[in-house]
Amino acid sequence: MKKIGITTTVPVEVLIAAGYEVVDLNNIFITSEDYGKYIETAENDGFPKSCCSWKKGIYGVCMKHGIGEVVGVTEGDCSNTKALEEVLKLRGVKVYPFAYPQSRDIDDIKSSIDRFMTIFGVGLSKVERIRERLKQVRHLVKTIDELTYVNGKASGFENHLYQVSTSDFNSSYECFEKDAASKIIEIEKRAPCNKKIRLGFIGVPPMFCDIYEYVEKFDAHFVYNEVQREFSFPRCDTAQSIYEQYLDYTYPYDLNFRLKEIRNQLELRKIDGVIHYTQAFCYRQIEDIVIKKELNLPVLTIEGDKLNILDSRTKLRIEAFLDMLSDIKEMGT
Amino acid sequence: MKKLGIDLGSREVKVVLMEDEVITKKIKLSTMSFYRDCCSYEGKITVDMNKLGLNSVDAAVSTGYGRNNTDLKQFKPINEIKAHVYGALYQTGLKDFILLDIGGQDVKTVKVEKGIITDLDLNEKCAASCGRYLENMASILEIPLENLFEYYQNPIELNSTCAVFSESELIGKIAEGIELGRLCAGVNYSLYKRLLPILGRFKGRKLVLSGGVARNKALVKYLGDNYDEVIELEDPQYNGAIGCCYYAEKIIFRNKKLEESDNEF
Repeated sequence: MKKIGITTTVPVEVLIAAGYEVVDLNNIFITSEDYGKYIETAENDGFPKSCCSWKKGIYGVCMKHGIGEVVGVTEGDCSNTKALEEVLKLRGVKVYPFAYPQSRDIDDIKSSIDRFMTIFGVGLSKVERIRERLKQVRHLVKTIDELTYVNGKASGFENHLYQVSTSDFNSSYECFEKDAASKIIEIEKRAPCNKKIRLGFIGVPPMFCDIYEYVEKFDAHFVYNEVQREFSFPRCDTAQSIYEQYLDYTYPYDLNFRLKEIRNQLELRKIDGVIHYTQAFCYRQIEDIVIKKELNLPVLTIEGDKLNILDSRTKLRIEAFLDMLSDIKEMGT
Repeated sequence: MKKLGIDLGSREVKVVLMEDEVITKKIKLSTMSFYRDCCSYEGKITVDMNKLGLNSVDAAVSTGYGRNNTDLKQFKPINEIKAHVYGALYQTGLKDFILLDIGGQDVKTVKVEKGIITDLDLNEKCAASCGRYLENMASILEIPLENLFEYYQNPIELNSTCAVFSESELIGKIAEGIELGRLCAGVNYSLYKRLLPILGRFKGRKLVLSGGVARNKALVKYLGDNYDEVIELEDPQYNGAIGCCYYAEKIIFRNKKLEESDNEF
């Protein structure tokens, strides 16, 4: 099966319909024990120190694993991604464009997905068949999400992991489906473990996953992973077509649209406080100004760069934040 | 309902009594005399309320420099950063600010957003940016500390990073016959310069100053260049103890009331 790399969530249904094995390059990068070597490869080839580690990691993965084809998101992602795609082309990687139109207009997204289907030579009916099939898998992930915020049985990390994996379904939706189904059975058998503080994680997926376990030391747990949840298309049932599905997706569009869904979820999930993860050198760090202002809950903004574990300073900040959040909860204000 | 807050500082112990959210008593005594004259040791440090001139209280909370000696019998110990934040919340009514607390031996910088800590930093290896440095310099200049705090114009340059080297540097300047006002301003300015790297990471519009060094008018003047507003607390030295009372009011009493209402059913 032909392999194709993706740098963020794109209409995976089209790629699967075209017979590709889809690989989210971010996942290969971050799950590697020696993830630093990918960053090093990029820096050796000229990527600046002051550049997002995710981009460098993706580049390193392409080089080290000989990824020959990649989908490049030309609209709805950052300018660093665009520059990355230019360098990948220079290195002989074939880059297929895909755009999330910033107008967030159904006609525009239709044109964009139609173009994407034409590039890969697949028709709408086949793509819709795949979409229907993937919806079954997405439902399982939605169940894991509910087992987190409704039942208190799935951990914040499991919630993160299964949702974030839906960008490529770990390159095989059938294997992923089996894995998720057995995971659900395992989780359902557990006793609920509800912590005092309910946290929301917003922002891009983190470089360090130990944050999920770390907060549990302070009687807190994450019951909402914003962007990871968006990757899983939790509202796919209300979409009548692939076009509507990718229109009702907050991550690549404007901040207000994203905030609206965040507010809904914070209320639904009875969140006490928010941790906003930002990546060093990312434009989304500037959006933090708006996010803090627009959300009525306490927000702790943390930053990750290259390290894949929490640094001691961030740990201290999280501890102080959770300590006061716990007081606020007791005060009942 | 009476709440007692004790802040065990490195140089002084501050005691505040609060009744119905109003401060009714403030006591300050040296750390040495507090432990020597007002405490006894019965496995744990026990505070003699009578010696502090206090009768019984309904809740008592302690905080202070280092965790070990703040664990007093019948007191609930709380983290000193949190105590200072609660003190500043009570004293200013603000929810968003940078808190700079400069005590005898330590500097705490805390970012508070929506009434909650979102960032913090502490000096660890060196106390050259603290109150003790100013005390030493005032003693070399043979003037009271409060007088030293008045001077800010035309400061002389004191470049040493080390507080001990600064003393000899200051003596050199005295020997050059430089007038007292410039010497004092130089001391204050050197403290300000040591604080700048710490404050560099704490951007914001409002700075709240607490701890004994908040009384330093020259420092307030200098910091005015870095923030839109520099707020000096009315009781900067009692801020930690006030924070303890605030915590007692908001948490301990509330929990007690909840327990009582649970018992009624």
